[in-house]
Amino acid sequence: MSDTPSHGPVKSIMPKWVRGPQDFVGGIALMAIAVFALWASSDLQGMHGFSFGAGTAPRMFAVLLLGLGFAVMVVGLVAEGAHLATYHWRGPLFVSLSILSFAVTIRPLGLVISAFASFMISALATPETRWTETIIVGICLTIGCSLLFPYALGLPLQLFPRFLVQ
Amino acid sequence: MADLFSNLALGFGVAFSPINLLLCLVGALVGTLVGVLPGIGTIATVAMLLPITFGLPPVGALIMLAGIYYGAQYGGSTTSILVNIPGEATSVVTTLDGFQMAKQGRAGPALAIAAIGSFFAGCVATVLIAVLGAPLTKLALAFGPAEYFSLMVLGLIFATVLAKGSVLKAIAMIVFGLLLSMVGSDIETGASRMAFNVPELADGLGFATVAMGVFGFAEIIRNLDAGAEMDRHLVQQKITGLMPTKKDLIASAPAIVRGTILGSILGILPGGGAVIASFAAYTFEKKIAKDPSRFGRGAIEGVAAPESANNAAAQTSFIPLLTLGIPPNAVMALMVGAMTIHGIVPGPQVMQKQPDLVWGMIASMWIGNLMLIIINLPLVGIWVRLLRVPYRLMFPSIVIFCAIGIYSINNAPVDVILAGAFGLLGYWLIKHDFEPAPLLLGMVLGPLMEENLRRALLISRGDWSVFLTRPLSAVLMAMAAFLLVLALLPSLRKKRDEVFVESET
Repeated sequence: MSDTPSHGPVKSIMPKWVRGPQDFVGGIALMAIAVFALWASSDLQGMHGFSFGAGTAPRMFAVLLLGLGFAVMVVGLVAEGAHLATYHWRGPLFVSLSILSFAVTIRPLGLVISAFASFMISALATPETRWTETIIVGICLTIGCSLLFPYALGLPLQLFPRFLVQ
Repeated sequence: MADLFSNLALGFGVAFSPINLLLCLVGALVGTLVGVLPGIGTIATVAMLLPITFGLPPVGALIMLAGIYYGAQYGGSTTSILVNIPGEATSVVTTLDGFQMAKQGRAGPALAIAAIGSFFAGCVATVLIAVLGAPLTKLALAFGPAEYFSLMVLGLIFATVLAKGSVLKAIAMIVFGLLLSMVGSDIETGASRMAFNVPELADGLGFATVAMGVFGFAEIIRNLDAGAEMDRHLVQQKITGLMPTKKDLIASAPAIVRGTILGSILGILPGGGAVIASFAAYTFEKKIAKDPSRFGRGAIEGVAAPESANNAAAQTSFIPLLTLGIPPNAVMALMVGAMTIHGIVPGPQVMQKQPDLVWGMIASMWIGNLMLIIINLPLVGIWVRLLRVPYRLMFPSIVIFCAIGIYSINNAPVDVILAGAFGLLGYWLIKHDFEPAPLLLGMVLGPLMEENLRRALLISRGDWSVFLTRPLSAVLMAMAAFLLVLALLPSLRKKRDEVFVESET
């Protein structure tokens, strides 16, 4: 699943002494996560005699992750490694927006609107989308979901907006 | 011995009525159809379909549930293979080689071998339960907290071998997963840990939420990247052969047998056994393979062994479930819930008091397996054809199914947002060559690990040497250390080679 670009000269923003930027940045990010977890669990009770407190295990794992993150960073320093992969904004942005829109609208607006809207938003994520085709499939999928989940499977999903039903 | 046959006969006598067979068939069919929707995992499927069985008599309900369970599980394996979304923890490993096979146009053989392996494992495990049920329960009882902790450590070390790349990064991912599993309420004190007063986090991060995020959404986002287009196009062009070839069968037959044996043994251990089984089977295959580098790149053994192990373990995990009342995974926990609704409380008495039920259930598990293979071998062609749907239409549909699936588990919109966030995290992980499978295993085993560590240290009065002084635990720890060294050796050697090559040029 390696996505490292092999084409063209990659302009690296990393200083020269970083030989594997991918691992270097990855390791630092893991360390940041570990520090964050240490901070987040700092209010929890620690060891209590020889019995664990609520905070013992989280802190233990966080310290371990800190060490491992550091090791990954060091590997990035000393060993020749992959460059930073290129990120694309379109896919992540619209897929996230679509998920977010579903989460926000499912309660107040019901399944029909929320599923169709999310389908359309996520279709924006790729330039390959052909709109007439996408709209037809979106409508079919929405109808299918509306029949399958609330009726066939009996899930407590509201179909239409709340203000219309009441 | 006579006992054994009378027991099995009793079971099949109960299960083999036409109405029960029909219930099982319907259950397996519905379970497969729902479970195969990408994003609706095994847990969600069983949870959704559970209410259908409430109106039936206990034996009929359990038989139908067995059908649903197997259908859902197979549906989960199908999505693992076709779209790289594991339905539950045990099918995480299936994604590794299954999805690669699908990419090479060999989704058909992968799906077929998963069904065949599962069926074989189910047959063997059924007999095994009947023969060894009672004595093996005693083995499970010999496992104290220290042994369980060591077993978890061993299981996590197995996970590092799953990784294609750096062992160090795989270990880092496991620990990250362990850390994520700490979110939620503390089991002993009930204190809220790293939940930031979000009520939906009080129960911890759900497996389904994280799995859909780091596998499902992240995979979609990655596929949308420019440059990945060619890759996808290739998948759709190259579908060849629906059934495994003779060569495939010869390659996977021993893997199925080994997977079944490993799975049957590990499944008996309550808690985590079934999950570890599929990881262990995969690791074992990779270790004894002549060319381990094929694994993770579409080796059929990498699908056959874990799928068999997982099914064998699911079957034998009924022993701890029925005798100790400990469910080995989330799906089994749902089954216990269903059993309780029908007035059956799992525990040591069930075997003696309601033998018809226990053996009826074991027999129905086997029938569920049979139904599965009857339904699914002809359907393989249809599932594979799903791959031909153009990606521009497929991915929005997967997004919607995933969103509805996650939402339906707890009716919580926050879960959907969390899955989205984990999708972005997963995308970042892919970009930095961190692999999500070890992370997920760490997350599943984390709570069990903490609980057993705490208990073991409490019993030993804070003495850490207990893991090495108890013989069974020491053996497990030694195995873990040995595996770790084995996993680290090639990368050390490789580094040396690289340095060597560099100095030459």
